[in-house]
Amino acid sequence: MKGKNLLYCSALVLMAALSACTSVTIDEYRQGTSHIVAGDSVVLLGRRHSSDYETEPDLVNCIGKIISAGDSGVNVVGEREFTDQLYPWFEPRTAPMSMKRLDQIAERKEFANVLENYKISYIIWIDGNTETTSSSGSIGCSIGAGGAGCFGFGTWDKESDYEATIWDYKNRKTLGTISADAKGTSYMPAIVIPIPLIARVQANACKGMAAQLHSFLKPNAGINAPGPQ
Amino acid sequence: MNRTAKIFTLISLIWLAGCENSLVVKGNFPAPMIDKLPHTLGVYYEPEFSEYIYKEKSEDRSMWTITAGPAQVDVLSKVLPKMFTSVIPVNTLPSPENPSQAELIFSPRIDEFQYALPRETKVNVFEIWIKYNMRIYNAAGQLLADWLMTAYGKTPTAFMTSKEEAVNEAAVMALRDMGATLSLRLPEVPEIKAWLVDHKPNPLSDPNAPLTQDPDAPPASASLSKALTGTHSEEGL
Repeated sequence: MKGKNLLYCSALVLMAALSACTSVTIDEYRQGTSHIVAGDSVVLLGRRHSSDYETEPDLVNCIGKIISAGDSGVNVVGEREFTDQLYPWFEPRTAPMSMKRLDQIAERKEFANVLENYKISYIIWIDGNTETTSSSGSIGCSIGAGGAGCFGFGTWDKESDYEATIWDYKNRKTLGTISADAKGTSYMPAIVIPIPLIARVQANACKGMAAQLHSFLKPNAGINAPGPQ
Repeated sequence: MNRTAKIFTLISLIWLAGCENSLVVKGNFPAPMIDKLPHTLGVYYEPEFSEYIYKEKSEDRSMWTITAGPAQVDVLSKVLPKMFTSVIPVNTLPSPENPSQAELIFSPRIDEFQYALPRETKVNVFEIWIKYNMRIYNAAGQLLADWLMTAYGKTPTAFMTSKEEAVNEAAVMALRDMGATLSLRLPEVPEIKAWLVDHKPNPLSDPNAPLTQDPDAPPASASLSKALTGTHSEEGL
């Protein structure tokens, strides 16, 4: 019994040691300083105009949750709520691609009123996606009268590439861009049972992007979120 | 039937069920924030449109059945009342012998409906593409515009938990796209634009416009009559 427990503990330690790693690179380009005051809000919107990828709504939610958390959090308006209120001006094919276009749309009184009611200071566009860039290996599973089991080894690489563009709505100018590139390799060895060692590429890109975005919007405040792993 | 045969039958049934997917498109569609055209629109939905069901016919693909008719009527019921000052349902298309009370009649049709799954395209998105034929008639039933409009919606794979949920979300996005394009582009369709120029309402029909005539004088036109009874009109897009 004692030997069995030791075996389980060793397996757990081995799994922890082998857990897949992710590297995250964050770049920031600032064109001006942010002036977010108490009561002001920001909205995070995913860019959805490209035909071959789509910025994941869960990534946008993830960044929003992190930058709005804690005492130093920023008020974040939900993406779907915002696009519903301003339908049809923020749909994938109608959303403004430039500040000039936003300026034209904002001439509409109803539009400006909605943004004023939400106290929107900044519109933050998130563009990019996470994709599997390569995969190799194979795992075979079989079932028989004596039981079932798998054997083999699989590995795959994932890459996240996101860019956040911060629009200053009140002053009608682009304030800066933040990019987050993350890479990681996941492994799946299978000896009777498959053991997934997953690299949390998108989650780490989200955390890195959110931390940088928070410091961009509130340079003097900390953030209650763990850094990239 | 022995135990092995029972297990084999069960697995076969599960496998066969896995090849058929059925979905009734459901979603919440917002009303658009646009200016109304100062005209009365009649809406006529053919049953082929209001009860539209897409059934995959290709044997090489999964047997998808997508019921989109009620959802697209739902979108239009939110969009059209924001596009025109008055929207009335009509039971049939008008004719010179039987003209409509509405100034324009809108009767949409689906020409094509397509879907694509990540397994087929190797792109991590579920896609829905719908080709509409937006037909607009005048009160006498004469076809004014035959506007071919495409609507497109997609949703990433990672976000959704099941294929049905993902295809539903892609369909909802396509219907939102249809509503957005219709509400913003209809007044720009050349035939409709020309009709709107020819049927500009009398400026006196705006109750907010300053009256330059004697308000006690008899109305000179139907639109002036509407103005005096308080019909509101706004500029088009």
